[in-house]
Amino acid sequence: MSAPAATAPLRAPGVVARLDELLGREVSLRALALLRVLIGPIVLLHLAPFLSDSLHGRTYQDVFHEPYASWYPELPEGAYIGVLWLGAAAAVAMSLGALARLGTLTRVATVTTFAVVAYNLFLSTTHVHNNRAYLVIVLGILAMAPVAQAGPAWPLWLLRFECAAVYGASGLSKLLDPDWFGGTVTWQRVLHARADLHPLPDWAVSVLTDRDFHTWAAKAIILTELFIALGLWSRRTRYAAVWVAAVFHVTIEASASVQVFSFLGICVLLIWAVPSTRDRVLRVDPGAALWRVVRALDWMARFRLEPAPPGATVELVDRDGTTLRGRPAVAFALSRLPLTAWFALPTLLLPAVRRARAA
Amino acid sequence: MVSRRRVVARRVIVLGVVLLQLGFIARGYTADHKEFAFQMFPESSTWRADVVRVTAGGRRVPVEIPWDGYSWDRLVTDRGLSYPSFRHHADAGLDNQLAFLRSALDWVAQNTPRDHATRYLEARVTAWHNDDPPRVEVFRSRLRDVAG
Repeated sequence: MSAPAATAPLRAPGVVARLDELLGREVSLRALALLRVLIGPIVLLHLAPFLSDSLHGRTYQDVFHEPYASWYPELPEGAYIGVLWLGAAAAVAMSLGALARLGTLTRVATVTTFAVVAYNLFLSTTHVHNNRAYLVIVLGILAMAPVAQAGPAWPLWLLRFECAAVYGASGLSKLLDPDWFGGTVTWQRVLHARADLHPLPDWAVSVLTDRDFHTWAAKAIILTELFIALGLWSRRTRYAAVWVAAVFHVTIEASASVQVFSFLGICVLLIWAVPSTRDRVLRVDPGAALWRVVRALDWMARFRLEPAPPGATVELVDRDGTTLRGRPAVAFALSRLPLTAWFALPTLLLPAVRRARAA
Repeated sequence: MVSRRRVVARRVIVLGVVLLQLGFIARGYTADHKEFAFQMFPESSTWRADVVRVTAGGRRVPVEIPWDGYSWDRLVTDRGLSYPSFRHHADAGLDNQLAFLRSALDWVAQNTPRDHATRYLEARVTAWHNDDPPRVEVFRSRLRDVAG
């Protein structure tokens, strides 16, 4: 292929051209960098039981396991344990590399982490759980994505699709199952686990074991999963979907053993942030607590901080030019920081904040 | 300007992953092992099983009794299979759970070389699919060569 041909713009009409524009559009990849930082500890948590077993001289090879394919390479025990530790070290390097913006180290470490976690997962059918499958998908996309502050949008779109697919597939499978939709599954689960309900007051136990309650609760659960899957795609419903998803994960974590699913699920929600940086202006007195909070917690680079005179009212200029002042500005700013968003988002529904945003 | 090759590669990767994911989700409705199908908490089904070793002489010995230096709960440590005689929740669905049990019978039969007496392992399974009446099934491992 000649050089001019190799760099010629792709002449594809209609849908394909729009797809190419969408996938290739230059966007901020800060969310992926932050995700790499956060995924490292999650990988360690995921590998911990394998590493713990290896320290006690046990691996999957010593107990029941079921290879997917006879040709899949199995390492000698010592080499396998070495690979697991390599994966743990790579996960740490991925996080630290992303934190320190060391591009080559981060890239090599991300690919290595993905390779180790995926290799280990596919060694045996007994290794595969939904949360581990999701972890491999996320690591795979991070391994393919550029390690840069900005780049093409396709890795973000792919992660968004996978994130929505997890909630959508789960919700759809329940919707199509008459036992789930009718409440039988949740009701039976509660009845089987009745002994674990003793810390709850009698009225709560009575409600939770009531068959009619589950007729509606099951539908609420299904609706929640489908709302998250679909709501994330629209800017009008995205924040609500993220807020509901966080509650959903905390509830699951409290009520079931799901390994790393909750941590992973919540961290991946970061990729739904609009992929642009410093496109909102926040004018704050540098002596105010908000200045320090935003400087410390604005991991997604949502704000361009500008110093305001001492004692001045906080002022926030949004992307569309809307200006907020005072408490509505503080509420809005906190709603855009990853650590405070869940607490601050509901305050945006307060009449005073709504009025200020509409003005 | 981005090269044509890169643009095509993007398309292939994104569409490939999307189609693969949709395929896995569809496959989850029929497969025992539902990898990447994300069907979470699919059933309230429960199960229990009496697992025995059947010797060449016809004796039926529960696997809860250690034999030749082996014990079931140390050989089968995962997927809720360690103590089959207790009624358990099939947390990834009954089909998935029983597929694992069948594989575990085969694995134990093939990986206990000091045992020269067992001809096969057998599990008599009682399974409750959600709130349906119990169903009883019998699974057997592959036959072992007990010569010598």
